[in-house]
Amino acid sequence: MAESQTAGGHPTRQRDGWVTPTLVAFCAASAAITVVAGLVQVSFGSYSMTLLEAWEAVVDPAVLFDGDAWRAFLLGEELPEMGSNSLVVWEIRLPRVFVAIITGATLAISGAIFQGVTRNELASPFVLGVSSGAGFAVLATLVVFSGLTTFLPFIATAGGTVAFLIVYVIAWKGGTSPVRLVLAGVIVNMVFQSLQQGLFFFADDLGVVQTAISWLTGSLTGTGWSEVRMAAIPAVVAIVAALAGARQLNVLLLGERTARSLGMRVETIRFGLSAVAILAASVAISVAGVVSFFGLVVPHIVRNVVGSDYRPLMIGCLFAGPALMVVADVGARLALGGTQLPVGVVTGLVGGPYFLYLMRRQRSMGEL
Amino acid sequence: MAGNERVTPPRSTDTNRSDDSEPTEGSIPDEGQTPDAAEDAASALAGDTLELTYPTADGTVVECGRVDVPEGEITALVGPNGSGKSTLLKALASHLEPAAGVVRLRGEDLRSFGPKEIARELGLLSQENESVGDVTVEDLVAHGRYPHRGFFDGLTETDREAIDRAIELAGIDDLRTTELGQLSGGQKQLAWIAMVLAQDTDILLLDEPTTFLDLHHQFRVLETIRELNERRDVTVAIVLHDVSQAARFADNLIALYEGEPYDWGPPEEIVTEQLLADVFGVEATVQYEPELQINPKRALGNRTR
Repeated sequence: MAESQTAGGHPTRQRDGWVTPTLVAFCAASAAITVVAGLVQVSFGSYSMTLLEAWEAVVDPAVLFDGDAWRAFLLGEELPEMGSNSLVVWEIRLPRVFVAIITGATLAISGAIFQGVTRNELASPFVLGVSSGAGFAVLATLVVFSGLTTFLPFIATAGGTVAFLIVYVIAWKGGTSPVRLVLAGVIVNMVFQSLQQGLFFFADDLGVVQTAISWLTGSLTGTGWSEVRMAAIPAVVAIVAALAGARQLNVLLLGERTARSLGMRVETIRFGLSAVAILAASVAISVAGVVSFFGLVVPHIVRNVVGSDYRPLMIGCLFAGPALMVVADVGARLALGGTQLPVGVVTGLVGGPYFLYLMRRQRSMGEL
Repeated sequence: MAGNERVTPPRSTDTNRSDDSEPTEGSIPDEGQTPDAAEDAASALAGDTLELTYPTADGTVVECGRVDVPEGEITALVGPNGSGKSTLLKALASHLEPAAGVVRLRGEDLRSFGPKEIARELGLLSQENESVGDVTVEDLVAHGRYPHRGFFDGLTETDREAIDRAIELAGIDDLRTTELGQLSGGQKQLAWIAMVLAQDTDILLLDEPTTFLDLHHQFRVLETIRELNERRDVTVAIVLHDVSQAARFADNLIALYEGEPYDWGPPEEIVTEQLLADVFGVEATVQYEPELQINPKRALGNRTR
């Protein structure tokens, strides 16, 4: 048959060619959106300045090339003198964009990993209990152990890990299965949400309740350099680990039996990758709270464009996540004029219908 | 392992092909009748006093004192539905931990190998594979190199050669960049086989690789396997549910009935009208000249199981 035609020698090798033009274009577009939305974010707000002034402040050489300023931003040292425009842009508006970038990227890769590990397109940090566990831990800290607020990121991570471990234990029956993982996740989610609601009764201060609510809906309001400092390093660790795990995820996608017959320690790899996803989700939760739908939807958007190979998918998530998060945060901050919405409200309102649209368009979705 | 010399058995691998016009005498010792040390070494894979159960089901599914997959030959597991063929194959591939007994890979307990070590020695193709829509054939085949790569390793030149060779052997060179979702069932199966071939193992275990394929692709698959066996001396254990196909194709048959081996040996010796009646519940005539041929007539009435 056809083998006779091509027996002579192989055509051009394009085996490591997963860096396709589509991927490059997608990432470039995402990066552009991030930059534009970021500029919009720094240009508008209650402190008014002209577009030109704002953009001048962004590229203000007095800040850009000032070692002291960067030490203040990145190490938390004392802020040097600067103009009020520069101060508003660099101290208030820009760091919020950076936090949005970090949360967007980590939530996206977290969702992508969970979807691969469970072989379930509906999986996300939210579905598997991580978000609600982390949310509960954060809430408990705010309401009960208010002295520990400085350790919120660690507490959020711990809460997420505990919740996921519970899910894992429930789902474990001589090995796990994707369906059991998701079902156990749903149950653990419900329990932790009840616990969260219960905790509200112990909050006597309205301020605490409001802080708690903004945590539970996911909000970037008031985030600054200290959040960037807190999240940057674990985010980088999670992202590097996620990129390194992309090939393992590809093999897992072939099915558990195949992965095993190829010599993979399926349970070990699955657990390790889950740990990376928890870390990533916890990074986002610790600075922004529980941003709903994001980790679920972004990997789908990227998958629609670049395909299900996890190598380009991860890269795509790293670009698309920040772009969408910054855009959503622009909406959350500026859409209602005076009042700032939690960004989680925006992602939920936009992400939900979009996900429904995806579901109706792809008939294959929804098969567990 | 000391004390386990690889004794070369008085057996050649190529003289007892079933397409020889007459059954070759003498080349096959009557194996399996009484296991002994020499046979142990001759088996690429051997199961010893195996009892196989599933955690979810009661009772023993497969129980067999001795099962051998001789080195460099094609061994077909045949039997009616539910006779334990796939279960036995899973145990041989270390996908199912035996409740009792051991599986030995060239004389050594399979449990003493790490998963990647096993995957470099034996490749397994499951009966059904997950549908993975938009993976290209080439990417799928490249995954066959998994056991040869470290966690962070890229594809080496050896890997690429193995991938090319596997794709060529499976005869799907023209489908390289096609996505799996666009392939027919038969082409898909060839792609999966190519992936297992890229694993570059000396032993191949295949679970009903031809079941859902049309005749053309059935032959393509079987020819690929045969070629591999002849050219590269790969040991094959294959579950086939079509006994006449198995009898034509394999060097050895293991006929399973209700979880126990009913008989085993070269097809010419063990395929009898009696076996077909007892194991498969069909009345059939068997013709030995010019070559083994099974002509099923009718189902024998009232098999309770």
